[in-house]
Parts: sequence; C-alpha cells; structure tokens
Amino acid sequence: MFKELDPILHSQLRLAVVSLLLSVKEAEFTFIREKTNSTAGNLSVQINKLKEAGYIEVLKQFKDNYPQTICKIAPQGIKAFEAYVKNLQSYLTIKK
Amino acid sequence: MKNQENEFSPEQSLKLITSMIETTKNSICDNSIYFLLWGWGILIACAVQYYMKAILNNPNNGMAWLIIPVLVVLQIFLVFKRRGKAKVKTFISDASAYLWTAIGFAYLAMAFIFAKTGWEYCSSFYIILYGMGTFVSGQFIKFRPLIIGGIICLPLAIAAVYVDFDSRILILGLSILVSYIIPGHLLRAKYKKQNLVNV
Repeated sequence: MFKELDPILHSQLRLAVVSLLLSVKEAEFTFIREKTNSTAGNLSVQINKLKEAGYIEVLKQFKDNYPQTICKIAPQGIKAFEAYVKNLQSYLTIKK
Repeated sequence: MKNQENEFSPEQSLKLITSMIETTKNSICDNSIYFLLWGWGILIACAVQYYMKAILNNPNNGMAWLIIPVLVVLQIFLVFKRRGKAKVKTFISDASAYLWTAIGFAYLAMAFIFAKTGWEYCSSFYIILYGMGTFVSGQFIKFRPLIIGGIICLPLAIAAVYVDFDSRILILGLSILVSYIIPGHLLRAKYKKQNLVNV
C-alpha cells in the first residue's frame, strides 16, 4: 500500500537541504547555498518552509558585523526524513 | 538547483539524497596546519637537543623543549584566528577536537609525572600518544598516511626503550616525521587539490 510522500520533503531543494543537514552538526546558509547550487532567494524561502514545519532549526546571529544564518536539523526533521525514506523504499520495491 | 515539486520521481529523490550526503564527505575542515605546527616544532626541538647533547655535550640540552610553550601560544592563536571561519560543523570535526584536547591534557599530565620520575624513557610514552592521535584522526577522515603514521609509531615507541638516550631523541624525531609532518603535508596537498577541483 502506497503512503503519500511528505509534501514538505518531496521537493528537490528542500530534500537536498534536509539531506545535507542530516550528515553535519550545523551548516551556514552560504555553505548550503554553495552545495545545493541554489539562489539565495529560493533557498531562503525553502528554509523558512522547513523551519515552519519544525524540520530544521534556524539561528540568526552576527559574525564580524555581518549577519550569519546557521541551520541545524531538528528531531522532528530526522523523524520525517526517516519516514520519507521508508515510503520511498516501498515505492521502489513495488516498482521492481 | 530549482525547487521542482512536479516530475520528481522516487528514484530522483534517492539519487539526490545520496549525492547530498556524498557532498558533505568532502567538507571536513582542513586542520593540517596543526599537524605541521607541532610536527615541525617538535622536530626542531629534537634536532636542537640532539645537537646540544650528542655533539656539544651540553648538560642543559633539555632547554630545547622550551619551544613547547611557544607552540602552545601559536596553537591558541591559530584556534582563535580560525574560530567561526568554518561554514560547516561536522560530528567528525567535533570528535577530532575532543580527541586532541584530551591528548593535549595527557601530554601536560605526563610532563608533571616525568618531571618527578625522570625523563629517561619519556619519549616512548609521547610517541605512543602521537601515534594514537594520528591513527584515530586518520580513521575519522579516512586518510591513509595518518593511519600508517600512527601505526609506525608503535614499533618506534618500543624500539626507543632499547637504545641509548641520544638515539631515543632521533627516534622521537623520526616518529614525528612519519606521524605528523609527512601526513600533514599530504593532507594539506589533498585539500589544496580539492579546492582547485571545486573551483
């Protein structure tokens, strides 16, 4: 039986951000932008969506008088990601 | 990368997850500077002590180790200078920092112990600690020269007990060469090459 894939995660950029944050402790906005090859505006919108869903934590601070945004995966984000991968596997198994 | 919500298949999802995880594997911060600082610092101390002891017969040859406080100051300076510059914090970089902090305190504790018991066989214990640190660090970042350097330290630590004090200084120098200096330079070259590739 198919379970619907989490619409928050089933989007290219949001999934890339969550996958990236899962394998690190925390990452700066600029690092995520560089690795996902996205634009600052688009990334900012998607990060906000993930934050609103409670999947990531966003910390805004100043470093050497410049604003700095640090992102970190939240426990809810880990759970959602695990469920997403599980559902993904069921899709792929049935397809085979 | 655009935020494609349609026509995004499960296969593409899986591919994307894998590629993002792979991307972070190469994001470990370049800490080769610390291996080079301590490696060259201690090698210089070994060379100076050997020269003072074996060639000049100077009884104050232990003064060569006064370089250590200088290295500690340089280390603190570098840590503060580089603090907050990393765009990403990984669990590996945290684990490495804890490992070397623990080893640093162990070096300090051993200095107090040897100051009381005598420095005759101290080099073997220091070599074992160098080896342990580089071996574990090498395994963390899957960097073979560090792992090999760490392993070589063990027979060198044992050999140091069977030779005279002058040769022991040379063995200490050799251990630092194989566990810090050579892997440190290779690590630096690897990061430089990676940066070039990324550009």
